Amino acid sequence: MSMLLELTGIEAAYGKLKALHGVSFSVAQAEIVALLGANGAGKSTTLRVISGLMKASAGNVVFNGKPIANLRPDLILKLGIAHCPEERHVWPEMTVEENLRLGGYTCSSKTELEQRLEKVVQPFARLRERYRQLAGTLSGGEQQMLAIARALMSSPRLLLLDEPSLGLAPRITQELLDIFRQLRDGGMTIVLVEQNVHNALSVASRAYVFETGRVVAEDTAKSLLGNPDLLRAYLGG
Amino acid sequence: MIFERRFLLGALAIAIVFPLLGWSEYVIHVGVLIMFSIMLATGFNLIVGYVGEFSLGHTAFLGIGAYTAALLSSSLGMPIFFNIAAAAVVAAIAGFFIGAVTLRLRGPFFVIVTLCFAEVLRIVANNWVALTNGPMGIAGIVKPAWMAQQTALQQKIDFYYIGLALVTVCVYFAYRFVYSFLGRAVVTIRENRFVAQSVGIWPYSYSLLAFVVASAMAGVAGAFYAHYVSYVGPEVFGFPFMISMIIMVLLGGKGTLIGPVIGPVIVVLLEEYLRDFKDLRFSIFGLVIVAVVLFVPQGLMGFVAARREQYARK
Repeated sequence: MSMLLELTGIEAAYGKLKALHGVSFSVAQAEIVALLGANGAGKSTTLRVISGLMKASAGNVVFNGKPIANLRPDLILKLGIAHCPEERHVWPEMTVEENLRLGGYTCSSKTELEQRLEKVVQPFARLRERYRQLAGTLSGGEQQMLAIARALMSSPRLLLLDEPSLGLAPRITQELLDIFRQLRDGGMTIVLVEQNVHNALSVASRAYVFETGRVVAEDTAKSLLGNPDLLRAYLGG
Repeated sequence: MIFERRFLLGALAIAIVFPLLGWSEYVIHVGVLIMFSIMLATGFNLIVGYVGEFSLGHTAFLGIGAYTAALLSSSLGMPIFFNIAAAAVVAAIAGFFIGAVTLRLRGPFFVIVTLCFAEVLRIVANNWVALTNGPMGIAGIVKPAWMAQQTALQQKIDFYYIGLALVTVCVYFAYRFVYSFLGRAVVTIRENRFVAQSVGIWPYSYSLLAFVVASAMAGVAGAFYAHYVSYVGPEVFGFPFMISMIIMVLLGGKGTLIGPVIGPVIVVLLEEYLRDFKDLRFSIFGLVIVAVVLFVPQGLMGFVAARREQYARK
């Protein structure tokens, strides 16, 4: 299987504090891969390095055969990697539609932008209903959907999702997971960072377990779910 | 947006009619000062209100504009409108270079470095006697030829209308900028830099663009001022202008288009009214800032917008 994204020996630091110590992993086309681990294990930092929001001090990121480490985030986005950062930041003073349109900022063709808008809101029935509402008035789950839909507006090949289910009701989380499955079936590749292991493994095909800035385990979702001892050892549950 | 447009057009109509009501020379002079201040505040607001960084060095561009016009007029005898355009271009170029350096910094670092640039320029203006005539400044900037035969009152009215035309251009530019896709991008950077980057907006280039536009507006204001008072000295780089700009924008409401229009009206009138208090008025202005920050942190227009929203929800 050819790999869409490959990280090798990524190191990154916040000032003097080293957050990643040689992280390597790979993701195939149309696959959902989960990054698991406790707080501070380096999952979010890894996503930031991939999308260029943070510089790697060492190592390589190869996307679709091209090295992209330390490119500017807007250029990486244009290559087809969209990052949906944690804490579902939307622009609260703008409407749902405006948020989505800004998501397609890099798209220069008007007709294509309209097509994308139509396509992106398709799976998000709740957003369609609240199209002209200010984003700040949406519920937590709806804001998360908006953040994801906005990331999809750049028409990416790879979607990086950082804790999309954080603080959401279980029913909404299930709705989101269904949407991820739909996206994957449509050919989208997803890297999913999650603290809720069972949710993550229910959609992912493979997972990498992070601990203090290192990948300490890698397996298919199925065998991880069948190995509760391993999960408990690394993830406490 | 519609409210803003109506308000601004209404204000323009009032401003056009205002000098026709038979005011004294002094009142028209105050009107000219208001026009000058609106140009400054509108530009400054693009940085403070939209980019979301606090510059303490915007007087650098005011001074550059003023000196450009003064030099062109006194040594080359160029006409006023040419000088104003040239001042806009020179200030924009300076804004590009200073912005390119300072916008790499954020928060307090940006504040300090912008302040340093204005201070350096003030010292240069003070000491480069061959070019700027040092502390003596450049005097005798010629008034437009058509004003030669006019009464003092008529000259002031002419300057008032020139100022109003320039204000209209500045506010129109600001309006177009803010409501364009570019302006939206700048606001997203202010709201959340990280998310802006995640949708492919490169904060540095958009902030720089806003900074250049703001600099050009300050340059226009400077050139207008130079021709109006027909003298330019190093104090155009000084901190008092900066303080006025800050109060105008904060009081009016940063991040709105109306704020930098009504802020200057209030501040200029207050400055004139408090003239009798001499230096004490700076203390009074200090208290005004404290009161604004405490009671209407979003400025008057922010307050009005919040009320309108409350009203709309009911």
